Amino acid sequence: MQTNSSETAGMTPLNVLIVDDSATMRALLYRVVGLADLPIGAIYQAPNGAEALKVLETHSIQAVFTDVNMPVMNGMELLREMAARDEWKDILRVIISTDGSRLRREEARELKVSLYVEKPFRPEVVRDVLCQIATVDVL
Amino acid sequence: MSSVKSLPLTSSDQEALQSAVIEVCENAYFVFVEPCDAPQFATLVDQVRAEKGRGPSGRWLNASVAFHGASRGQVDVVLPERLGTWLVVSLLGLPADATLKDNQLLDGVGEFANMVCGAWLSKANETASFTLDVPKVTRMPSGWAPGSTPQPDEEAYRTVVVNEMPLEVRAR
Repeated sequence: MQTNSSETAGMTPLNVLIVDDSATMRALLYRVVGLADLPIGAIYQAPNGAEALKVLETHSIQAVFTDVNMPVMNGMELLREMAARDEWKDILRVIISTDGSRLRREEARELKVSLYVEKPFRPEVVRDVLCQIATVDVL
Repeated sequence: MSSVKSLPLTSSDQEALQSAVIEVCENAYFVFVEPCDAPQFATLVDQVRAEKGRGPSGRWLNASVAFHGASRGQVDVVLPERLGTWLVVSLLGLPADATLKDNQLLDGVGEFANMVCGAWLSKANETASFTLDVPKVTRMPSGWAPGSTPQPDEEAYRTVVVNEMPLEVRAR
């Protein structure tokens, strides 16, 4: 876990969880999240869904960016676990995956995924996603 | 695309393989890709070979991603280590002369192959969903170089130039 200390007066810092088995993708997303013009509190990282659940159990998280294909517990399994927990219902869910199939997107919608970003993506797409969060009542 | 013979690749699927490389390079790495024919590819391979003896730059990496779903198969991306380093440094926004740890390089090249495979599958079959295995990245033996010809069991094969370096992508 790493922390970004930026904070904007008047806004609650946003805690973000990045879930991807690729350290490269996690590093990229960490950098991109830092580019968003939002108060970022902590940026947590997990290499699979099982580790992500541990973070969710122990920290206050407002947004989850997750890959789909991962070992141990994949992104859809993580989202199913999240959907079953009432205390996590307000967490913003974003999928970032190479799998952009219609089937997967429909499955994601059923699991309350707000946004589906297909890899490869331009960094500003993820930055814009975070900025949209500021206009949505999740903070 | 698949070893399942009931789902043979069409010519448009093969074009999609090249389009996938272009899409990944241009969207995630901000670099243009040019197709290249066999003689041009061989020339570029020779240039990489000439780098042998100057550190690891003359070595090649092979990143494989197996997929399962409506069909199954594997995508292989073969590229010089120097190109792999450049791609990872570019993706992460690091200084051009940054030195990568070995696990950073292999993970980053694996992610590149993962994106190519996913982009190709999305183009080849918009409706089906696939599961991609964790990429396997192998550093090829010293002196090894791609032959620039498709193997008998491969159904798609393309060679391109990325940042003046050769890259081949194979699918079966």
